[in-house]
Order: sequence, then C-alpha cells, then structure tokens
Amino acid sequence: MHDNRRQILDMLAQGKINSAEAERLIAALERSDMPVARDTSAVKYLRVLVDANDEQEGPTKVNVRVPMQLLRAGVRLTGVIPDRAREQVNEALRKEGIPFDINKLTPDNLEDMIEQLRDLSVDVDNERAKVRVFCE
Amino acid sequence: MTQEILPPLSASLHVKPAGWRFGLRLWLPLFLLWLLLIPLLILALPLLFVGSLIFRFNLWRSLRAANGVLAATRGSQVEVDKRDTSVFIKLH
Repeated sequence: MHDNRRQILDMLAQGKINSAEAERLIAALERSDMPVARDTSAVKYLRVLVDANDEQEGPTKVNVRVPMQLLRAGVRLTGVIPDRAREQVNEALRKEGIPFDINKLTPDNLEDMIEQLRDLSVDVDNERAKVRVFCE
Repeated sequence: MTQEILPPLSASLHVKPAGWRFGLRLWLPLFLLWLLLIPLLILALPLLFVGSLIFRFNLWRSLRAANGVLAATRGSQVEVDKRDTSVFIKLH
C-alpha cells in the first residue's frame, strides 16, 4: 500500500499528474485496501418449501421454518451421551457404511458447518412436486 | 435468564378445517404448561438423580441440554395449505 501511495506522490512531484488526480488515485487506493464487507449475519433458519400437486388431493403447499438453534442444541445434546453409548453409535454408523465419529461433532465444528450452509440451496423439480430447501 | 434459554412461551395456531367457512385463530399460552410441569420436574428430580448415578450421566448437563432443545424450538413455523384445509403453527 505504501509503495503505491509513494508512487502516486512521486508522479505528483514529477508533475505527471495534478493534485486532484493524485487525490482521486489515493482515494481509489484506500477503497481497494478496505476489507471486503462480509455477510457476517448468522444463518438463522432452515426453510423447507414444498409445492405439491396431487391428482386426488389437489394442490398442497408446505412451508416449514426450522431454527438453526435447534441444530446447535441437538449437537450439545450429543455431549451428554455416555462414552460407551457414543462408541455404540459410532459402531452402528460404521456398520451402515457411514464412517462418522460423533466425538468430533463439537459446537465449534458445527458453527463452521452452519457457516457453509449459508449458500445451501436444494431445488427438486418434479412433475408432481417442487421442493426447495435453503437457509436464511 | 436470557431469552435463549427460555422455552417457547406461546404458540399461534391457525386452523381451517375442511368445510369450515372461517378458520380458528388460537393463541396458546405455553408458559402455563411449563408452570405446571416445573413442580412435576422438581418431584421427579430425586428419581432422575438416582438414574444419573446408575446410568452414569451428568444430570445437570442433561437437563440443560434438554432445556436447550426446547428453547431452540422458538421461532419454528409450520404452514400447510391444502385445497380446503390449512394449518399454521408458530412457536414464539
């Protein structure tokens, strides 16, 4: 940053640019050095929308909003599972072909996962139903 | 007590059964239910304590986690609209 600023001041000193141009360039430089505004708002809800059209029952619309806090609370609930039961759960998951260790499911890991869910969007288009799952 | 650890205090329930011209709009004071359950929980605490010693789980952590799950349901919303029936439930 300092090199660029010095370069602009050198150009001003050499008369290659005038003071107004130097000011504009420095302002542009400062803008480019500003951290990119990141959407830090937490993902609050998981939304499931279903728009189905059944021949017999007619159109049905379902709109479900699940707080992400429920997911967090669920993970905290795994913390109270006794160690022996955790091993049994892991074993059962392994038998089902899911090599997942619930000991590694911690609130910190979960926050990372929820952060990744921000851009999650699942769209299923079927001739009988449309399903949309996303986080908001 | 912060808001995050409180269970849902009320629920809105809108129901319109088939054949009804107008639906029902109900506000359910869930806090009354919790007030009724607290004495029962206090009565059950000795049993839970014995159970925690037998099955070796942390009673305090378990109660906090269970309350956390309950509190996390705040803000949940379910809405189902069919041709002539609709249901809407929201936990506050």
